[in-house]
Amino acid sequence: MKAKLASYFSNKWLQVILFSLFIIVTSAALYFSQKSVVSFLLLLSSLLILHYMSLKNVTKWITALGLLFILIPFASSGGPAFQSYMEVATMVGIYISMALGLNIVVGMAGLLDLGFVAFFAVGAYSYSIFATKQASNFMPFGNFPLGGESFWGFLIIGGIMAAIAGVLIGVPVLRVKGDYLAIVTLGFGEIIRIIFNNADRPINITNGAMGIASVTPPEIFGITLSFPNQFYFVTLFILMFTIFAVLRLEHSKLGRSWKAVRENEIAAQAMGIPLVKTKLLAFALGASFSGIMGVVFAAKQAFIDPTSFTLMESFTILVMVVLGGMGSVPGVILGAAVITILNLQVLTELTNWLNQLSLSGALSIPDALSPAKMQKFIFGALLVVFALYRPKGLIPAKNKIFDVKKLKDHRPDHLNNDTEKDSVPIDKVQV
Amino acid sequence: MTILEVNSLTKQFGGLTANKDITMTVEEGKITAVIGPNGAGKTTFFNMITGVYQPTSGDIKLDGKSIVGLKPDEVAKKGISRTFQNIRLFGEMSVIENVLVGMHTHLKTNLLGILLNLPFTKKEEASAEKEAYRLLEYFELDHLLNEKANNLSYGAQRKLEIARALATKPKLLLLDEPAAGMNPKETRELTEVIKRMGQEFNVTVILIEHDMKLVMEISEHIVVLDHGEKIAEGNPEEIRTNPKVIEAYLGSAAVH
Amino acid sequence: MLQEVLQSLPQVLVDGLTLGAVYAVVALGYTMVYGILQLINFAHGEVFMSGAFIGTAFFILIMGMGWAAEIPQFILLIIVLVLTASITGLVGVGLERVAYRPLRNAPRLIPLITAIGISFILQDVVRFIAELFNGNYIVTGPSLFSEQITLKASSISSIFFDARIKTSFLIVLGVAIVLMVALDYFVNKTKWGTAMRAVALDRETASLMSINVNKVISITFFIGSALGGATGVLFAVQYGTIDPYIGFILGLKAFIAAVLGGIGNIRGAMLGGMLLGLMEMFASANLSLLTGGVFGAEYKDVFAFAILILVLIFKPEGLLGKPTAEKV
Repeated sequence: MKAKLASYFSNKWLQVILFSLFIIVTSAALYFSQKSVVSFLLLLSSLLILHYMSLKNVTKWITALGLLFILIPFASSGGPAFQSYMEVATMVGIYISMALGLNIVVGMAGLLDLGFVAFFAVGAYSYSIFATKQASNFMPFGNFPLGGESFWGFLIIGGIMAAIAGVLIGVPVLRVKGDYLAIVTLGFGEIIRIIFNNADRPINITNGAMGIASVTPPEIFGITLSFPNQFYFVTLFILMFTIFAVLRLEHSKLGRSWKAVRENEIAAQAMGIPLVKTKLLAFALGASFSGIMGVVFAAKQAFIDPTSFTLMESFTILVMVVLGGMGSVPGVILGAAVITILNLQVLTELTNWLNQLSLSGALSIPDALSPAKMQKFIFGALLVVFALYRPKGLIPAKNKIFDVKKLKDHRPDHLNNDTEKDSVPIDKVQV
Repeated sequence: MTILEVNSLTKQFGGLTANKDITMTVEEGKITAVIGPNGAGKTTFFNMITGVYQPTSGDIKLDGKSIVGLKPDEVAKKGISRTFQNIRLFGEMSVIENVLVGMHTHLKTNLLGILLNLPFTKKEEASAEKEAYRLLEYFELDHLLNEKANNLSYGAQRKLEIARALATKPKLLLLDEPAAGMNPKETRELTEVIKRMGQEFNVTVILIEHDMKLVMEISEHIVVLDHGEKIAEGNPEEIRTNPKVIEAYLGSAAVH
Repeated sequence: MLQEVLQSLPQVLVDGLTLGAVYAVVALGYTMVYGILQLINFAHGEVFMSGAFIGTAFFILIMGMGWAAEIPQFILLIIVLVLTASITGLVGVGLERVAYRPLRNAPRLIPLITAIGISFILQDVVRFIAELFNGNYIVTGPSLFSEQITLKASSISSIFFDARIKTSFLIVLGVAIVLMVALDYFVNKTKWGTAMRAVALDRETASLMSINVNKVISITFFIGSALGGATGVLFAVQYGTIDPYIGFILGLKAFIAAVLGGIGNIRGAMLGGMLLGLMEMFASANLSLLTGGVFGAEYKDVFAFAILILVLIFKPEGLLGKPTAEKV
């Protein structure tokens, strides 16, 4: 019976029909309800289901893009909660992109970076400083704030600035032994935050703890972007770019050299891989993804201050990577989505619900235990449980599967005669 | 023709002298063996040649040019590759990926090519994969190509290390106890492979080995180290009968 | 400018020694564990913090009992120190059993991650308990040893200003030194101390010499955590107000102290702790003065990390450590 059911489910067409039904039901529920977090989450989870379906990769990608660009925004636009859904989805996108960046450093290159949020901060501040009057405090020329069109250029500048910060941090740090790296990066993460927090004297660059307000919103074709649904599309475009880039890197010469360094530094060096340069590249690339999203974050919030870039943020991103599966791109995407939604939706909803319960006197939960405050405990427990029992995460990383047929076909010319040589009796050539 | 020239090479760790005043040359195309009792300083010697340790004094020349002071990855680029006594594979990576890592220095693609998946990168990658597969076939590991290196048997791991080292297209290949932990059948096969590959891959082999049968069968030149010093050198016949060597091994038990 | 620096020097020395003593004892916990397992026990700072809370709870509890008011403060302190150290010692042993032992052969990244996880859990559990009983997670303990003494540094030379110290300063420094001397004796002169050093040098060979490696590791965690917890109590006595987040940054700095002194080296940790405490206090008193107001005292954490990075680049084996080369 069970086997029969399993065979039904492995049928491609049945899968497609069930999947379509699922999407139709959840999106209809989302569209027609006033506010239904559950159906919103179910609709998002359809992407996870899609990951496991037995379809061609191209089909999956087209379906996913259709869901993300058309169906999800449309289905959530039905009720008054539209903007709040889009806000959550945007944050999910920002965190996924950052987690993918950290995944390069931690998952692929095996370097435990505990100060990753610093790069996010660098990106966010590079846009905020120039998109407000702040820059006129120290720039001898130029007219600040810059206009909203500059946002698009700053996506690249933010990425580059973060990459430079990554290299600056990496140069001293990557020479030290692996174990210390965690501590040193953690220190650097704090240093950068402290600097942003205090760089209002002697020259006011960051406006210190007061933060920078009224950051100019981005502008494209004369349209000012200020609503979450607009940022949703901006984030989505960047995220797609990030995912494609990361997938390319993973199975390239670079991805292999990162993994080789992670697996065995000495052997990697013996294969001609320069350690410091390879690690630096991982640092810089990972940082740049974070920096780009920092720019988006600053523009979306229109206000930033150092409290958005604490140690806790760095750890949150690490939890995403560990939970999803270090080194696994789909895993990290899932991990980042789960943790962001947990933080922004589930914990707050649960807290509200429990508060209502205690108000009505049905149940009394001490305030100290309210789920919104339990974030650290939950993260801690997730880290311990996953490290102990599922160190490879929700979706473990997989090696690329090579197809023997493709490898056997036309051989490169210079190796063609090797097979014949095998049978030749060997007399050592003495020179 | 001389490919490697070692001149009064010395390595000290604090007060301990691991290698003392070693001078030797390696002829291109000849299989050279470095033997000696445990702790004689053989692996230290390899580590200095490959740049893992820097010598305290002395010089190492590859093709007449000094390679002292280069980092291990730079030495690898100059054309010296090696295997390790305690196997150092990239355990979580697949067998073929291990070999592909070996080709690292020969892949010319850059970040832009990778991110944009340019045709040049694609072509280069495809031909590297085929070449890697060809190496696996040579070592009869082709059926294991998608296995994780960690899951391989001990003998297969040793062979994979050699395949990976050959993928760097070295002039000089250093094998550190390639037959350690292998059963007699595997050792016999390995002996054959080492004999053949020198010519087929145009590489000069230096090996450290404790299996005297293997050493005597395939080496054309043998260097004997004891307590960090070279005590003898010559062809297998000369080494077999050298009284110093016999003494170093505490009698002739190890020498058949 | 030099004059101003000198004027504040006595106070800087007093404050620096107090803080340094705290760093030094906490650093011992890091260095012992690292020496034996080559593991950075991230959660050690949290053990210290738990010690501060447990100690404060004992103080409140005991002093709440009427008759206890008769006990001399010093006896009370010793009772609380012993009780707290035993509890945090057991916490440390439990931590190793649950979070580190199963991972002894895992890739090195993994135990670091459990350590961070445990750290979070301890923080939140302490926060929860404190908030539940106290209504707020910031707790102020009873005031002990709070008489002020004035150190007449000005009588030595008029360059100096007088330094003001609480009696608790002497207590903290005194107890910390006693703990360090006792540990040094234990490690160098007793059977278990010898076993500990043997395991640190070569775990496998030690086990062949019929040393029970797991027991040695448990003892190491017990002692390290007991010391950490005891320091927590001292910290609470000295600074009065504690919260669940004091352990993290203080733990990091203690780790920096351990690296500065030479990780794995017990006397190095003591030296590193004292040095770091002094340097940090000096920096926080004079940084603003020396840089003409560009950098203020708020950069003192930056200063500590800068020291770490400099040490790691120029003398990674630390002040008292020996350089090691990885075996290939």
